[in-house]
Amino acid sequence: MAIFDTPKEAFGALRPICVRITKEQTVNNVQCLQSQLQKVGDAALQELQEYVLFPLRFSLKTPGLKQERFVQSVVECIHFIISRTCVRNQQQLCDLFSELSLCLSSPSNHGKLAIISEELKMAVVQGLIALLHSAYGDIVLSLYQPDMLPTQGFVISLLLDIAEHEKSRQLQVLALKCLLVLILQCDCPDTHCSFDNNGLLQVGNSFASFLPGITLGMTRIISGDVKQGHLVTTYAIKVWYKVVGLVMANDQVSKNHHDKKMLFAEESKLTELVICRKPEWVKNTASKLDVLLQKLCSCAAGNSHWKVRLELVELVYDLLSYCNKSLKQSIGHLLEVLVGLVGDERPEVQTRCSQVLKNVSELCVMCENKDFTDVLSENLHTLTTALPRLMRTLDDQSKLKSLGLLLGYLKLLGHKVSVVLNSTVHLGRLSKALMQILELDVTDVRIVEERHLNSEAEDLQHPTHPSSGWDHLKTWSKPAAQRKYFKFFIEECVFILLQQICRVLGYYGNLYLLVDHFMDLYQQSVVYRKQAAIVINELLLGAAGLDVDVLHERETPVSTNDLKATVTSIIEEYTSTANWHLVTSIESEYETGLNINQPKFLDFTRESHKSYLYSSQSLTVHTMNSNIWQICVQLEGIGYFAHVLNKEFRLLLMVSLYPVIEKVGAETLLVSQMATRTLVDLCQACGYDSLQELINQNSDYLVNTISLNLRSLTQHPHTPRVISVMFSYSDASLLPLVDDVVQDILLSLDHYYNEKAQLIFTVLHSLMSALAHWFPPKDPVQKKEKPQDKACRSGVTAEEIQCFFQEYQKQKHLAEGDIKDIDLDKTEGDIPDQLEPDISSDHPIVKKELPAHIQIAKDVMERCIHLLSDKSVKLRLKVLDVLELCVVVLQCNVNELLPMVHRLWSPLVQKLTSDDPLVILRAFKVLCKLADGSGDFLRSRVSKDILPKVTRYLVSQAPVSTKAGPIYSHTLSYKLQLAELQGLGKLCEKLDLGETDLDMVASTCLPYLSSRQPLKLQDAACSVFYHLNEVDPDATWLILNEVYCPDVYNPPHSSLPAIQLTGMGKQRNEFTDNVLRLLQEFE
Amino acid sequence: MALRPPDPKFVLRGTGASVNTLHFCCRDQEGCDPILFSGQGRDAAVCTWDLSEGRNAVIDYIPLDSYGFCQCSLMQKDVGHYLLASPGSTLSEVKILDLLKKTPVWILKPPADAKLGMPMCLKLWQPLSCSRPLLLVGYEDGSVTLWDPSEKKMLSRLACHNEPIMCLDFDPEKVKGISGSSEKVLSSWGLDEQQNLKLQKTVTLVNAGIADTCIRQDKKILATAGWDHQVRVFGWKKLKPLAILPYHTASVHCVSFSDHVVLSERFMAAGSKDQRISLWSLYNEP
Repeated sequence: MAIFDTPKEAFGALRPICVRITKEQTVNNVQCLQSQLQKVGDAALQELQEYVLFPLRFSLKTPGLKQERFVQSVVECIHFIISRTCVRNQQQLCDLFSELSLCLSSPSNHGKLAIISEELKMAVVQGLIALLHSAYGDIVLSLYQPDMLPTQGFVISLLLDIAEHEKSRQLQVLALKCLLVLILQCDCPDTHCSFDNNGLLQVGNSFASFLPGITLGMTRIISGDVKQGHLVTTYAIKVWYKVVGLVMANDQVSKNHHDKKMLFAEESKLTELVICRKPEWVKNTASKLDVLLQKLCSCAAGNSHWKVRLELVELVYDLLSYCNKSLKQSIGHLLEVLVGLVGDERPEVQTRCSQVLKNVSELCVMCENKDFTDVLSENLHTLTTALPRLMRTLDDQSKLKSLGLLLGYLKLLGHKVSVVLNSTVHLGRLSKALMQILELDVTDVRIVEERHLNSEAEDLQHPTHPSSGWDHLKTWSKPAAQRKYFKFFIEECVFILLQQICRVLGYYGNLYLLVDHFMDLYQQSVVYRKQAAIVINELLLGAAGLDVDVLHERETPVSTNDLKATVTSIIEEYTSTANWHLVTSIESEYETGLNINQPKFLDFTRESHKSYLYSSQSLTVHTMNSNIWQICVQLEGIGYFAHVLNKEFRLLLMVSLYPVIEKVGAETLLVSQMATRTLVDLCQACGYDSLQELINQNSDYLVNTISLNLRSLTQHPHTPRVISVMFSYSDASLLPLVDDVVQDILLSLDHYYNEKAQLIFTVLHSLMSALAHWFPPKDPVQKKEKPQDKACRSGVTAEEIQCFFQEYQKQKHLAEGDIKDIDLDKTEGDIPDQLEPDISSDHPIVKKELPAHIQIAKDVMERCIHLLSDKSVKLRLKVLDVLELCVVVLQCNVNELLPMVHRLWSPLVQKLTSDDPLVILRAFKVLCKLADGSGDFLRSRVSKDILPKVTRYLVSQAPVSTKAGPIYSHTLSYKLQLAELQGLGKLCEKLDLGETDLDMVASTCLPYLSSRQPLKLQDAACSVFYHLNEVDPDATWLILNEVYCPDVYNPPHSSLPAIQLTGMGKQRNEFTDNVLRLLQEFE
Repeated sequence: MALRPPDPKFVLRGTGASVNTLHFCCRDQEGCDPILFSGQGRDAAVCTWDLSEGRNAVIDYIPLDSYGFCQCSLMQKDVGHYLLASPGSTLSEVKILDLLKKTPVWILKPPADAKLGMPMCLKLWQPLSCSRPLLLVGYEDGSVTLWDPSEKKMLSRLACHNEPIMCLDFDPEKVKGISGSSEKVLSSWGLDEQQNLKLQKTVTLVNAGIADTCIRQDKKILATAGWDHQVRVFGWKKLKPLAILPYHTASVHCVSFSDHVVLSERFMAAGSKDQRISLWSLYNEP
């Protein structure tokens, strides 16, 4: 809305008011001028600039006290003018500069800040900023002429004073901004005139004089009260590094013109003020700045506002990029700050920080800056030296910080890491530090105690679902990794950081050197072994570039061949007997102890066995825990290595699969879980679809080792475990491959039936349960008939009774030989149908080759028969278990089963009649299984060989146990009674025994229903009756009612005779409770 | 105290039949793992196989005249020129064929009154001194004979066993051979300047029956395959027994040494009736 566009018009309008101001210096007049000025166009104002400014300047210059209000309005007016125009005259610029600054100083004490209102100060500072902005072109450089130095100094000191001591934050910030403008580093969005090097040099020269003052002031502000607000601190930091960055810039300092002095020689007084930036001056200043910098950084880094920390990052960036030569001694500190801030909580700071880190490291890489590397490696050295101490004393948060620093240094060093670590001192320090930090806490007893429930136990728990134990193994689920517990820190993130450190080392470092070094440590002492293994594992991950976060790519990645060679040697070391077969539990120690005792002559060839001897003497929970962890770490490592090599690892499966599987079968839960994880890792890395495929494809490796180890089982007591695991993870397609091994197992059983039968039977158990799982027996036909029995019992109608009696009549006639009215065709038609297949299968004379699993089951059964009468109860139990499984497998192949049963019979009868109660119980189980498959075959044998003996014993013992006291339950005869009673019922049911036998059993068990018998015997007797009830409910009902009958039965029709049961109307007696209980449950 | 015998380095399984003969094939010396192949054939024919570049295809099928226990013996005369010695159509007769042309070169018949029985094993070899190949034949009656095929003449005969000879091997450097039979004795014999076979030494074993014998290429040790399931190793110079290698669970049919360039990767293989081939690393330290 400019009205006066031409200078002439404007002059006319402005002239009166200007004149008025010269005469009459009032606020009103000035404000009037300002409002008039608003009507003047920019171009016109530029023309009239000097003219308009004159009265204002004049009024400022007139001596005497002036009203503050007036001065303020004048300054504002000047501000208004110069912000719209530009100053083209050097002299004018300098004059205005000094005149404005004079407004701030107290008239009495020149150089001190006047006690004036904040508004005035604000106006002046704003005026100054505007003035500096409006300077045309390089005119502004005139301010930095040596003759302006006093004025400059004066302004700067005033501004510093304001920035430091003013209460108003706005004013403080403004003053700081003004300082920024002064050093030509304004951060406002306006475009600025850019200056060539000479110009900057001039500014730099002039500010060299003020450097101490400014930096000191700024440092004071930064380290001042936190309450001053982040903006002030941020600007203070900015001023600090801009000033330092200007004065100490590499190119400024290096290009120092020594002829400057000559230039100002004539003005001797001023020359004293000019500072010549000679090397010694630079050195001195740098050392002083270093002190300030440290103070500043420690304050700012701990500032709670993230913008302050962000500004700090900028500071580091600026100084590192522009002053890295002059501020050599501070580089270390700056890097420390930078690296420390990488782990900042604010993502903004983090990202900027890593950006800066990247730039800086490029700077250090590109320029081949030797100083940088030196500083970094020195820092690294100091840090690693201090680390162990820090780790012991600090809290987790501070540990995180120092480790973050370490990681940062390594990342910054980049591929120089390998150069730095070529120095033994460095490597030694670093490795010692890592060894100390990574020390595991081995005090937890649980780890040693927790046991892996092996498949045997699982099967026992779920006898009805044999598949449940298997199916979960085939899925991909990896058991969760157990957290490692460390001695010196708790938080997981510390460990993650340590992992990163190791990986970065592996990424950049010389793999062979590092692995060799840590392998040395590994071999050196048990104390370092676990840590060294952890480090080696991570090193390789890093070397392969997996899960490693770095600033820049390395030049040459490690070749696959190198990786392969390294991995091969490491695996060899890990799986060597001394490092792999460690004592992890008391039992296994006992086991190995056995080995030593027996084949003594072998020990001369095997030193490892001697080490067992030594270790067993001082076996503590801690050592075992430590051993467990060592194995776990090594297992984890193998999993890592597989991922490092991917499919290339397939060849290494030859040496690694067997040891890993061996550990899958370990008793200690943790080891077994970890091994399973490793197995899944192997599977994924080598590109197999399932564990099953992994094992099947590599079974030749496994089978080879197994068969070799079986030949000397005493030295390889863990072999059976491998076989068990192999069976449990695989399926029937494995069978042809392991057929060979099975023969080996049986052979070694024949060789070592004394010492190793236990172990081998564990294997046989897993083999047979695998077979039973792979070849499930067809459902026996008998079971289907049962529901019918029950159905007819539930609701008896008159018709059904009629049917029953008619049928009964018919049968009776038939039995008496009266067969005339029977449909012969029908019965004849039925029978051949059932018989035919039997006959035809019996017929072939040439013996067919049996399926492998049948042959195996037969072979195993053969051994079982031999070992049924072994001395050890434990073994006999195992044998019986295996026997049961054999029977299951053979069930569908009666032709093979029956001859075996025939041979088995007499030892089994022995077990059933005169052995440990536990064995009897187990033998009964076997008998029941046998009854499943070959009931007819056994029926007469059981009733002839077993029932008489058993019942005789039970009958004779019944009075004894009735009278017995509480101690009786500890006697052998009690246990025997219990076992027999527990087995009898099931047997009767399975064999479908005849009436007489059932009667015998029932009458034998009746005395045990007495409430005077021990409770457990009562229960067992009840169970017998339950089973009897399944076979012949009516007879059972009758027998029970004969003992005690709670009800009275009235005949439904008067023509029928009244029912008389012996138990009717009896007094309550010792049998009442149990009989009632049974009858109730039968209902 | 005797050292425990080593375990086999590896066991190859899955042949599905008993292993009758083995041969290492290490022609592609560098970087190629030794290939081992085994063969069975009772169909009175010899097959030639193409094994280059990992192929395994039968190229040719040469019918033979006799059914017997005797294995043929192959010798390379010049490059691409192979001679094959095989038992002939009549008793005691030996035929030498040109493998490429498949035509008999020489037919060797012993004098009618010799009563040698069937030829049991053959060894065609090239003496160092002259260019003509010589043939060693072990006969059913327990004698070893030396033939000069080009003159169709039996040069020498040595009755060194009482039972049929099962195997023989010959070392042209030391001009010395070894033979095993179905009895317990292993005999070594030499050849003097007049081409006469002379018995040098006999070793009596614990169990009878040697199915195969093989002298290692470096002429330091020899191995025998025993019917007693064991492989025995002897020093070649003095026939000093060095080791008994128990592994197989059935009689061992054949032994063979590899001639891999890398000494430490040289193996001995033994094939057995139990359908396995065991690989052993023996006396490989320089």
